[in-house]
Amino acid sequence: MRQPVLQVQDLSVERSGRLAVEGVSFALSPESDTALVGPNGAGKSTLVAALLGLVPRRSGAVEILGQPLGIDGQLPRAVRAQIAYVPQTLALQGRFPLTVAEFVGFGYDPPGLRLPWKDHRKRRVSVQQALQRTGCEDLGQRLLSELSGGQLKRVLLAFCVVRPRQLLVLDEAQAGLDAPSNEHFQQLLFNLRRQEGWTVLQVSHDLDMVRRSCDQVLCLNRRLRCGGSPDHALSPQSLNELYGPNMITYRHQHHG
Amino acid sequence: MADAAALASILAEPFMQRALVGGLLTGALGGLLGSFAVLRQLSFFSDALGHSALLGITLGILLGINPTVVLIPFAVLFALLVHQLVQRSALPTDALLNIVYSSSLAAAVLALSLVETYRGGIQQLLFGDILGISWVDLGVIGGLLLVALLYLSLSLRAQVLLTLNTDLAGAMGVRTGWHRLAFIVLLAVVVAVSIKAVGVLLISAFVVIPACAGRLLSRRFPVYVVSSALLGGGCALMGLLGSGLTNLPSGPCVVMVQFLGFVVALVISQSTRRSPAVAGPGGRQILGGGPAALEPH
Repeated sequence: MRQPVLQVQDLSVERSGRLAVEGVSFALSPESDTALVGPNGAGKSTLVAALLGLVPRRSGAVEILGQPLGIDGQLPRAVRAQIAYVPQTLALQGRFPLTVAEFVGFGYDPPGLRLPWKDHRKRRVSVQQALQRTGCEDLGQRLLSELSGGQLKRVLLAFCVVRPRQLLVLDEAQAGLDAPSNEHFQQLLFNLRRQEGWTVLQVSHDLDMVRRSCDQVLCLNRRLRCGGSPDHALSPQSLNELYGPNMITYRHQHHG
Repeated sequence: MADAAALASILAEPFMQRALVGGLLTGALGGLLGSFAVLRQLSFFSDALGHSALLGITLGILLGINPTVVLIPFAVLFALLVHQLVQRSALPTDALLNIVYSSSLAAAVLALSLVETYRGGIQQLLFGDILGISWVDLGVIGGLLLVALLYLSLSLRAQVLLTLNTDLAGAMGVRTGWHRLAFIVLLAVVVAVSIKAVGVLLISAFVVIPACAGRLLSRRFPVYVVSSALLGGGCALMGLLGSGLTNLPSGPCVVMVQFLGFVVALVISQSTRRSPAVAGPGGRQILGGGPAALEPH
């Protein structure tokens, strides 16, 4: 059996003085696509932040690619370079003088200090390829602050795919995408997994997309309430437990 | 002819030559740091730091130490304390900065009232005295410009990602806490060193105005940073020459030239937005190439 890309053991995280995530354990096998679902305020983003080493954990252990994540988020540089992350949004108040191609180029560079013109040619070629793969080839010279929400999500994905990696973490990346863009986005994630061996962890509220695209679901509401295949984890009983009875009524009204 | 002769005689004065070099370096330094500070919404931070520097100067006077010597450690300490306060408090940053800077300004004025005779004069503290800049000052400002250039070049990726999204930067291996602190300390030192030339009241203009003009005119990030620094240095030069010719105060002259530069940048950015035929198919071509849109977002 292959080593998990991400292994989480009894993880608890505090935020703003309260326990936001408690006793969570799970593992991501290579090339899997796992969805993290749960109601607002369930601790999904906090869990993701803790897994990425952005907030300190109170207890528990996290291993990424076989390397332990330090209590303050330290990871060996080589492991850190294998992680990609798509946040919900960027701080782009007003005119931000940064083109899409420049931004994607920052995804190419490894962590650490370096002169900006180092590997300029290789970076340019990789950026062009990443933009093409994500359907952003016509956006390269646009300003980041000119993009619509959906375009920005695709550019963030281009930022991630500009260099090979092993773990992709997405925080509500599909929010704001129209139906064709969403399909394209999911297809790209599928290709990254199957062709390049990426492992995906995505926070999502789109349960239909999760049912269609993911092969593992983690239901979080401070603790892990359920987990497993989408059919099992998104059963009416599980959803009832996770979101409360109103969720079942809502879904029946919209699908039945 | 008379103007040319007047200009030549001004330029022949060693103090004016030092002032011009000092203005160029201080302006470039302000524009360089400002290009990042403005995007990171630290404009008000530099303003608060400048005003609070008056307290540092006053402490120096009261203790009988050269205010310039006191100012750099004071500004760094002040910046670190404010940074901690902002990180730990639940209050909005602008409100906190307002409290800190008005309190320290009041404390400084009260402390100054205890000093019976201050040779430098309050006017000099408020508006600077670039004509009194020494070769040592020039060396310090030049060295600081080199340090800032080196640090910002090496950490460009970190600075941009940190500005866009702290979590994204952290996930990509940027030491966010370290870089945030390093930038604030650098900004504090730049403000402290520039106070002598620019004055407490006008220092934030050196940081904010050239960067905002550069932001309106640029599309590519390196072009933005370089144009902000050039605009800062260029406006300082022109302002100082204007000050020498008209015998008006130097600091305010520089800031007025910066303001005019900003207005020109605003007009250019607006006119290129309105005339796509001039700008090309994508419209709005300014500095740095490629199509652009200047609509507010």
